[in-house]
Amino acid sequence: MKKEKRMKSFSKALIYIVLIIITVFALFPVVYTILGSFKGNMELLSEGNRLFPRKFVMDNYKQAWEMANFQKYTTNSLFMSGMIVLGTIFTTTIAGYVFERGTFPMKNFLFTMVVSSMFVSLGSLTLYPTFVIAKAFGINKTLWGVIIIRVFGLNVTNLFITRSYIRSLSKEIDEAAKVDGCSFFGIYWRIIFPLLKPLIATIAILEFRHSWNDYLMPMVFTLSNPDRMPLIVGIMNLKSSGEAASSWNLMLAGSSIALIPMIVVYLIFNRFFIEGLTAGSVKG
Amino acid sequence: MKKKKISGDSIQAMAMLAPMMIGFFIFTYIPIIYILRYSFYESNGIKSAWIGLENFVRVFTRDSAYWKSLGNVFLLAFGKLAVEIPLSLLLAVLLNKGLKATGFFRVALFLPAIISTAITGLIFSLMFGAFNGIINGMLQNIGLISGAINWFGKKGTAMMVLGLASVWNNYGINMIFFLMALQSVPKELYECAEIDGVSAGNRFFYITLPMIGPTFQAVVLMSIVASLKMSELILASTNGQPSGQTEVVITYVFKYFFGYDGRKVEVGYASAMALITGIVLAMVSFVYMKFSNKLGHSTE
Repeated sequence: MKKEKRMKSFSKALIYIVLIIITVFALFPVVYTILGSFKGNMELLSEGNRLFPRKFVMDNYKQAWEMANFQKYTTNSLFMSGMIVLGTIFTTTIAGYVFERGTFPMKNFLFTMVVSSMFVSLGSLTLYPTFVIAKAFGINKTLWGVIIIRVFGLNVTNLFITRSYIRSLSKEIDEAAKVDGCSFFGIYWRIIFPLLKPLIATIAILEFRHSWNDYLMPMVFTLSNPDRMPLIVGIMNLKSSGEAASSWNLMLAGSSIALIPMIVVYLIFNRFFIEGLTAGSVKG
Repeated sequence: MKKKKISGDSIQAMAMLAPMMIGFFIFTYIPIIYILRYSFYESNGIKSAWIGLENFVRVFTRDSAYWKSLGNVFLLAFGKLAVEIPLSLLLAVLLNKGLKATGFFRVALFLPAIISTAITGLIFSLMFGAFNGIINGMLQNIGLISGAINWFGKKGTAMMVLGLASVWNNYGINMIFFLMALQSVPKELYECAEIDGVSAGNRFFYITLPMIGPTFQAVVLMSIVASLKMSELILASTNGQPSGQTEVVITYVFKYFFGYDGRKVEVGYASAMALITGIVLAMVSFVYMKFSNKLGHSTE
């Protein structure tokens, strides 16, 4: 009996050790970036072997913020992500509601069309034609193009989560409202939408993560208009500008500026992140 | 009957959905049709001319770099998944033991999954920098290597770093999927097996794996497709260097579309390559599903 107990605590210790080692590896790149962003430029260029800075300096942030346009990039990122999150909440819940509760001709056909688009997987290869179409509408030079495409382009996984969430809501409430003379839109606006709060939190966080982290599409749309670049594009621009070696400190500070808001949001809402990402991917 | 269907509510429903349907068709289906059409054209984005199957002939007979980039992405994807899938399964099993501090480990281990792929590429290329990267510095400090390694100078090491970065960025989601599947396995099964004296290893292979089989199958398919489509990670780190050795198929085609990286814009040719890539990806998924279904049946 005693021996068995000792075996148990031994295997427990082993599990903890494995978990701790992997956690260290998992967190290392993030810790490296954030600590590195406080190193002086001299230190960054001369000694790469230290994780902790000799002296914490804010110079990199100051330089990035004031001289390297990061103030603008951050504003652009906030604007783009904010608009996408806000817009997606409405378009996704409306589409989910109409596909679940609405009755109109061709409903199933349309839904099949939307769903089957998942199987045509060209990834970022459709970016060029998308850009050409945006050009035809005159929205190819600002972040509005990205916002409109993301908001009205309908994300299939979001649609799936929303539709199944609405399906789980009792139909009795909307039938009662209908008897009382509430219109189809009125039921969405007064009854369904307020009931969707937990789902909206999930979608908002998924979309925030996606749009805040997005690189290729905003890059294509701001190629000729550097003033509109979001953070990620701005940081990558430093890398490809040919002065990569001298702007190492800016890249680290910039990356931290991009990482920290994401991490803070994650630490506060981690439950929604984990549930949302998995709920989204299971069906997609 | 028909008249009753198109009621006021139906009209409202259609009006509410219309903006999204229009957006969806414009931004999802039209780009695909565009690619289908332009794969038969020679085009620099402004002028185009019909050239029939010439683009396809070019891909199949004269463009070895395309096939090389396709080979690279297969190597990279399957190489990194050979690490990523077992790692995420191991972590899920450990997190499922119900130890204290599981919550902390779950949150900490999932953290890399929320970070931008582009930033991941950047961070790893800084960490593995040849001259003042911290990895070289630390390895030299503890005496594992004598001189700095130029990680991105050779294909082998460059691919290794890219694989590592991709594993780091992606294992978290798989881990959570496996964890959710594990949590739905009834505890009684393990208790019975333990009473019957089944060893821990056998319990894993005869109870855990079959029980989470469907999840496992789906996660692997998802990971394969996502890995074969990787692009941002490469653009943000090696950008195909050294001399195209780490170029993957999506970045290769992307550069032809946009004339990126000193290439001239060849929309028609890029469309043909995009089409072929799409077909290859669909074939991989199809073969995988056939294969894994067969495997599932034979163990039953």
